[in-house]
Amino acid sequence: MPLRRLTPYLFVAPTLAFIVLFTLYPATQTLVTSLYQPARRASGEPTFIGLQNFVNLFNPSHFIGADFVIIFGNTLIFALVTVILSVPLALVFALLLNRKIQALGLWRFAIFYPALLPMLGAASLWAFIFADSIGVAASILGFFGLANPNWLGDPNLALFSVTLVNVWKQSGYLMIFYLAGLQAIPRDIYEAAAIEGANGWQQLRFLTLPLLRRTTLFVLVVTFLFAFQTVEHLPALGSGGPGVRSNLILYYIYQKIPERLNWGYVNAMTTVLISIVLTFTLLNMAFFERKGVEDERG
Amino acid sequence: MANRTFRLLPLAASALLLLGVAQAQGAVTIDFYFPEATANNAQAIFEEYAAKFNEKFPNITINVAYQGSYTDNRVKIQTELAAGAGPDVAVMLTTDLFSFIEADTIVPAQQFIDQMEDGEAFVANFFPAFLANSLDEEGTVWAIPFQRSTPVLYYNADLLEAAGLSVPRNQDELRAVAKALTTPERHGLWLPSEGFPIWLFSAAAIANGQNLSSTDPCEVTFATDAAQAALDYWLSLPAEGVMPAGLLSWGDAPQLFIDGKAAMIAHTTGSLTRILNNAPFKVGVAFLPFGPADENGEGYGAPTGGGNLYMFKNSSPEEQAAAWEWIKFLASDEIQADWGARTGYVAATLGAWETEPLASLVKEKPQYAVARDQLAHADKEFSAFRTIDLQGIINTALSDIISGGAPNDGTRLKVAQEQIDGLLAEFCQ
Amino acid sequence: MSAAKRQSARRPIRWTSRLLDSLTVLLSLLWLFPLVVSLWMSFRPQFASADSSALLLGLFTLDNYYDAWRISPWGTHYVNTLIFVVGTLLVQLVTVTLAAYAFARLRFPGRDLLLLLVLAQLMIPSTVLLAQNFVTIRNLGLYDSHIAMMMPYFGSAFGTLLLRQAFRSVPYELEEAARVDGANVWQVLRHVYVPLSVPSYVAFSLVSISSHWNEFLWPLIVTQSESVRPLTVGLNKLVQSSEVGALYNQQMAGTILVIAPLVLLFMRWQKQFIESFAQSGIK
Repeated sequence: MPLRRLTPYLFVAPTLAFIVLFTLYPATQTLVTSLYQPARRASGEPTFIGLQNFVNLFNPSHFIGADFVIIFGNTLIFALVTVILSVPLALVFALLLNRKIQALGLWRFAIFYPALLPMLGAASLWAFIFADSIGVAASILGFFGLANPNWLGDPNLALFSVTLVNVWKQSGYLMIFYLAGLQAIPRDIYEAAAIEGANGWQQLRFLTLPLLRRTTLFVLVVTFLFAFQTVEHLPALGSGGPGVRSNLILYYIYQKIPERLNWGYVNAMTTVLISIVLTFTLLNMAFFERKGVEDERG
Repeated sequence: MANRTFRLLPLAASALLLLGVAQAQGAVTIDFYFPEATANNAQAIFEEYAAKFNEKFPNITINVAYQGSYTDNRVKIQTELAAGAGPDVAVMLTTDLFSFIEADTIVPAQQFIDQMEDGEAFVANFFPAFLANSLDEEGTVWAIPFQRSTPVLYYNADLLEAAGLSVPRNQDELRAVAKALTTPERHGLWLPSEGFPIWLFSAAAIANGQNLSSTDPCEVTFATDAAQAALDYWLSLPAEGVMPAGLLSWGDAPQLFIDGKAAMIAHTTGSLTRILNNAPFKVGVAFLPFGPADENGEGYGAPTGGGNLYMFKNSSPEEQAAAWEWIKFLASDEIQADWGARTGYVAATLGAWETEPLASLVKEKPQYAVARDQLAHADKEFSAFRTIDLQGIINTALSDIISGGAPNDGTRLKVAQEQIDGLLAEFCQ
Repeated sequence: MSAAKRQSARRPIRWTSRLLDSLTVLLSLLWLFPLVVSLWMSFRPQFASADSSALLLGLFTLDNYYDAWRISPWGTHYVNTLIFVVGTLLVQLVTVTLAAYAFARLRFPGRDLLLLLVLAQLMIPSTVLLAQNFVTIRNLGLYDSHIAMMMPYFGSAFGTLLLRQAFRSVPYELEEAARVDGANVWQVLRHVYVPLSVPSYVAFSLVSISSHWNEFLWPLIVTQSESVRPLTVGLNKLVQSSEVGALYNQQMAGTILVIAPLVLLFMRWQKQFIESFAQSGIK
């Protein structure tokens, strides 16, 4: 009998153990060390300084705050613009590629393959597209007699350029979720609607989109979460510059880790990053789970 | 491949035997970390060196480990040191010096040099401009110059010749030549400023009379007249249409030059081999002329760059002794000559330039000697306490100004200098 | 059956259909363009770039692949990536199945709290915990091994959630019937839940494989020998060119070397892939 009662815990134990060891424990450690300042000597003990690291992070006249407040904003813009552009694109792709068309597999591959590329490779590919004179964009624009903008070196354009790469890379991946959602919608609903005289646009507006609501929620969350973790493309695409104009929190953390004396800030930034993601996800889950419960009841 | 393995078998067997013997005499394994395997297949070269070294010192085995970029490498080393482990020898940036001195995690090379019979000669064999980044404010040698570089000016000699121009020796000549060579399809000049503008900018600051850092790690001078003059000059180039506006890519510069899209570029000596091998025109290499003309009409100045060899406190005395042997081996004229010729780094010892294969390479392609000769006008690369953060402050300020994100009226420099002083205040009382 | 009816309903909008077809092709080609560029470049000499005047045919070379191949032991990297990806997946399949079953079908005190703890993994980017996890791996004595690269992924919140959902849609009567026949938990899992959730397993496997295939920073940090390092570390040697400038053509060749197996995998199975997603309830 006691064994029977233990069973659920035994089943959950392996998963939980690894998550505790590699996610929860280090996250807690991060939280704690974000309240400390490292000692000058590597062998020395860190000093407890309360929330001072966080205060400095958001103080624009402090050396770290001067960068961080801009990067904090960049990260939110990057995530939001990624969501705003790639989710509708993914939906459009899915709608187009859920139809009967010759060589469907090829078109689906064409949209999806960026998701298979390692970020390192994708980034150097785009670095070549963006390059001055020798680059692909320069050749194409030059063909039409247009000037090639300084994609990564113009402070007003750089963040947009690195976001564009992310949109290109993500939307095919997100399309798969929409395709799956579309295929789960029974065909006969459309037939019934067609008989009722609904045209294609009306079917889309009043049938497809509402039925894809759960997919959309899921896709929104996934895109947003991913956006905060996607930085491997930055080193090849202007290293977050000019200055910090296209830098993102996670990459900035990586730039600051090499200086041991910044580890307090690094942990504070990590805590900030986790807090944003956590807040967003909890909000969504509250919404998501309630909808989920309703759907299951219905 | 199989053939090779087969041939190596008896060798391996005898090595095992030797190892057994060596074990008895106290065999040591040295963990050697290096970054940047770019295009040279550095891993293979280092393994070759390690094998050669092992013939000389059968009881020391070198464990060669590639560790990604300089940043990846340093992150890993710091994390390992904090956990009580770490490598025995590592190639790290020359500018990493003061952080590691502060953290008390590295061992000064000086203590081993002092035990050498010919210690003074050993030190004197390095170019002073390279050695500058190995020293603390008291002149103690901490690290040994190894994979060193410096930026130089590359010019399309065919174009200059066709236009009847001579090689620019100061900032005005540089701008004039650039202007004469600019066409709608070609930039006259390309000074990379993306990512890490401080390096090339230092060249301009040095040529204008004041480097950004000195031998004192507490002294950083960014908001100066020299820096302002350097910036004014820099921004005059796009204003006169000889160079595109905004931050310019570092990585694309060699290809732009080779493809004839830029008549002149400033770039590292590390790119020389690739440019010489691929450019379909005569390639000229010259000193960086970012400064105003002096009485000889010259305005030269450049920083050095690259990586040094470091040793660590976490290693045992036996390991440190073995590590020192490995460092001496890598810093020998023979290896420096070979390394320089194969990778394009500037051989750091005077003797290496008299040694094969470098000696004949320079005779055959005199362009290789330019970087060496420029060392007479070179100063140390930017280095102080908290170098990474200070570089970050300076890079951001320079990027803001050069890209047009901030006005070039001195205010941005002052803001940066205040941040710098605030940061240094913690260390320098 | 209803094909004729559908056909007749569609006829009046055939021109839109044409339009949409063209749009599909256009967008696909646009998206495909970067891949075409990289394939093209990977076979072109380094210094005859995409400049329109250099679009001459006949200048094809395998040099980039040769140079890329030379710089790292790619054969070893392929094996290591396979071990990393497949090993991770195999362990995940076991841990995820057990946890998913417990969360889907067993009642026990603290269930919701434990589920929340598992979910935390989805919200905390593992990349930010590199330094701490590196120390953990060192303390476990696993540094520089395949298992070091895999271990943080042995527990998967994503997989647990996905299969929990799949298991919940398995009719409970089936489990009861099996129980009446005397089946124990293992048999119930093996004969009822797992076979009925194959699409979810496929979907999860593909997500797991494609994300770990391209994993870079973590494997780089917890290893130091070429003998355990994966493909991305080899690629990084080509991409990592902070000082001497970008070698685009070699980088493209390296990228193609890395993705070729994944691309073939996807091309071959894309239909099944998408169908299993549709059936798995990731929607």
